[in-house]
Formats: sequence, C-alpha cells, structure tokens
Amino acid sequence: MAATDNEEWDVVISAKRKRLGFDFKELRQYKDLVKLMIRREFVSVYKQTIFGPLWFVLQPLMSTFLYMFVFGNIAQMGTDGIPQPLFYFSGTMLWTFFATTLQKCSDTFVNNSGLFGKVYFPRFTMPITYMVNAFFTLCIQFAVMMIFYVYYFLNGFHFTPTWWIVATPLYIFQLALLGMGFGIMISALTTKYRDLRNLVSFGLSLLMYATPVVYPISSVPIKWKLLFQLNPVTPIIEMFRFSFFGSGNYDIKMWIYSLVVSVVVFLIGLMTFNHNEQTFIDVV
Amino acid sequence: MNTMVKVENLSKEYRLGVIGNGSLWKDIQSWNAKLQGKPDPWTRINEESRIGRRDRFWALKDVSFEVQQGERLGIIGRNGAGKSTLLKILSQITTPTKGTVKIRGRVGSLLEVGTGFHPDLTGRENVYLNGAILGMKKGEIDRNFDEIVAFSEIEPEFIDTPVKRYSSGMYVRLAFAVAAFLSSEILIADEVLAVGDIKFQEKCIGKMRDVSENDGRTILFVSHNIGAVRQLCQTGILLEHGQIREYGDVGMVLQAYETSLRG
Repeated sequence: MAATDNEEWDVVISAKRKRLGFDFKELRQYKDLVKLMIRREFVSVYKQTIFGPLWFVLQPLMSTFLYMFVFGNIAQMGTDGIPQPLFYFSGTMLWTFFATTLQKCSDTFVNNSGLFGKVYFPRFTMPITYMVNAFFTLCIQFAVMMIFYVYYFLNGFHFTPTWWIVATPLYIFQLALLGMGFGIMISALTTKYRDLRNLVSFGLSLLMYATPVVYPISSVPIKWKLLFQLNPVTPIIEMFRFSFFGSGNYDIKMWIYSLVVSVVVFLIGLMTFNHNEQTFIDVV
Repeated sequence: MNTMVKVENLSKEYRLGVIGNGSLWKDIQSWNAKLQGKPDPWTRINEESRIGRRDRFWALKDVSFEVQQGERLGIIGRNGAGKSTLLKILSQITTPTKGTVKIRGRVGSLLEVGTGFHPDLTGRENVYLNGAILGMKKGEIDRNFDEIVAFSEIEPEFIDTPVKRYSSGMYVRLAFAVAAFLSSEILIADEVLAVGDIKFQEKCIGKMRDVSENDGRTILFVSHNIGAVRQLCQTGILLEHGQIREYGDVGMVLQAYETSLRG
C-alpha cells in the first residue's frame, strides 16, 4: 500500500477531511451545470407571474418611492446634493445585491439538502449560482439607474463623475465576495442551528440601517462615523456614489480596509464551507 | 481485468439521538456549563453524558470488496442493513468513519430518479439540467438528446411542456432515460427501478445489461427486487447489520438472502 498504489486511482474516499485546498479544477468541469442552475433559478423566480422579469425593476423602484417619501420628505434627511431618486435607487440596488447573495448563500445546505443527499457535484456551484443571479438582477437595475442618470443630466443637473467610475466592477466584485463570504460561513452553521436563519433575515434588515443606504455618511455625527465605517459595506456604497455623482464621502483608507475585509471574509467562508460540505448531510 | 472499485475495511458510524441540542442557545449553555465544571443542564435524567458509548451505531462495519470492470454487482439486504449508506459513501455524498474506497473512472450515481428536476422547466430543459447534475457535459447531452427522448417514449410534442403537466409515468420515464445515457465508467443505482410499469422496468434492466456487456461499464445495483437482481447481476453481496454476510455468485447470495428472510 505504498503511495504509488494510490496514484492509479481517480478518486480515493477516506475519513480524512480536506481543509484548505479548494478544487477549482473540479468546479470548472461542472461549468455547464453552473449555467443551467443559473437559468433554473432565474426562471423559477418569474414563472407564472404577470410582470415576469419586470419585478426585478419594480421592487427597487417601489422601495425608492417609499424612501423618498419617508426619509426624504417626512424625516428631511439629506442626500449630499444627489437627486433623491438616484440616491435611494443606487443605495437599494447595491444593498439588495449584497443582502440577496448573503441570504441565499446562507441557505445553501438547508435548501438543497434533497439534491445534495442524492448526488455528488461540487457544492460550491450553488453559492456561485445565487451570486450570479443576484448579479443579473443588479445589471438590470443598473441599466434603470443609468436611465435616471441620463434624464437628470439632460435636464441640466450637473453631476461631476470622477475617474473612480472605472473601479465600479471592483465595487461589485467586493460586494459579491462579502455576500458570498458571510453567506457560506453562515450556511455551515445553519445546518446545525436553524435559528440562525431567522437571525439572518432579521439581522440583514437591521444592518441596512447601519449602512448608508437611505442616508449619506456625512449626516452621521462625527463621533459615530468611525463605527459606521467599520461596516465593510459602507465604504463600497459611498465610493460608488462618489464615483458616479462626484459628491459624498471619499475615504480611500476605509475603502482599502473594506477591500481587505472582503477578501479575508471570503477566504474564511470558503474554508468553513469546504470543511462542512462533506459531513453536513449527516447533520442537516 | 481492471479493478474499478476497491473498498477496504469501510466503516460508518452514526450518533444516535439528537445531534447537538438543535438550537444554538442550548449548545452555548451546555458549553458554558462544561467550562465551569458544572453538569450539563440539558442532560436527560439518569443519563451519564450526552455523548456516551451507547448512542453510537455502526451502519457499516469492516466492509471490503472489489469490483472488476464490466462486473454487475447486486447489493441486497433487509431494511437498515447499510445498503444506502454504502452507496452514499461510494457516491461521495457522505464520508466514511474508517477505511477507504478507491475508484477508477467517473461515477454516475442514481440514488433517486429525476434529481434536480424543476416542475416549472420544460422536459427539454430538465433533461439538460438533470444530465448536468449527474455529471454530463452539454455536448454529450446534445449528441444523445434524440435518443434520450426516444428511450423515454415521450411524444416529441410534449418535450417543450413544463414537466409539472406530465403524468407521473412520463416524469419518471424521462428522468430514467437521462440516466440511461450517462457515460460514466461506473454506474451506481439504488432502487431506481421501483418506478414505471413492468415493461419499462424490463427495458431499463435490458439497457443496463447492454451498456455493461458492450461498453464494459461497471454496475453496482441495490434492489429489494430479487428477480431484477437475478436478471441483471453476476455477483452479489448480502449485507446484514452493516456487515457482509455473503459475497460471491449472485445465485448463492440470493439463496442466502431468501433463507434469512424466512428465518
């Protein structure tokens, strides 16, 4: 039973758990599955609805109107000089991308236990599927935001977009890493503790108010500012608005901090996910 | 002859009863009590500790066997004998507690018919989805698509209708047809033939014999249906309480099984 004996075999199954190494090669072999899963998720959302894919736009639009009414008119909160619809829409859109990814990923094992219990494929396909779907939604919403943007521009509103606009894909990528990272970290725990699921949905709606979605960071009192900026999503949303509208808080240090946090969170998530994917089925 | 699957001293242990306490708060309380050296507040009365020797159970114990290329092995045994646990380990769904499994080639596992079928997707879309879940590439499905539909005996005009409108027979026939065209070197099937009418069942067994005899594919087949096992397999394993009771020629193993059922 020397090492040479093992080399002839394609798969060796033993009690050992893999901890760190992540098998990207294996995942690439299943890229057709990822594509089909994405389609399955996308279709299942709007099958047999009247408005179909229009819902992807209607939801943030309705939130935007509500925020304009509640936070803009009743509470009279500022928007750093950005037109209210654009301010709220951009915030909701980015937040929804992060929150949806996180929530869907955190349910990976619980929602797919039927599938995972019957057939083997790299479990990481599902978090990727969820993230990509949320990303498609974000793209549609981004197009709508650009319509608003051009409309305001043509009506003589002077935005001063900055060169930081080219970093937009990076902002989105960061949100994806954060959402997936936290999501898959929690997914490993929800298999055992179902109460975490409630905590996730409730926690996310609370966390939204600790993130500058409906208010700019500039309206936060100085002594609380640092605390708010520790939230890794905060600098991303602020940088996004700064890039497109040229106003708001521009803090490169906080942004780099959030970039580091995103990568670290994602890597830790990947490790816990990997560690758990082999044994969860006996627990779930 | 090539050995395709080599199972050595495979054991799987399960913990009986509740794993953890089911809620994070209770586990934190138990953990806190342990830190302070107090007894666990969630221990049941008259119970030593929650994780005692008694609540462990071996679903599989020291199972070893080998499967050669082109061999069709039937795994039989009564409910709870460890058949499904064995297949789950071979399909990489769960890990063993001890021992190893070595596999040459790709494994296609059919522990259920129509895994991942989505009721809102059409027959065509589900064929692709299910195929991909079972490990097929898109190109492979493209090439075999017409044959899959023909095998399933579904009229071509139904293939673009959501599968929730299908009769249950059509649904399982389509699902099995996808699996029948799996090109993996090893096929693992668990009771999948308990579906469809007798004619279709025979067709499936015929197809499995066919791929094994002509393409040299290896088949591991679990079933309670003695007739189907006799028809399909050459060798057999009789499992009892997680251990191999009989291993060898299928006729002999089936006889031992029948005796054990009566006794």
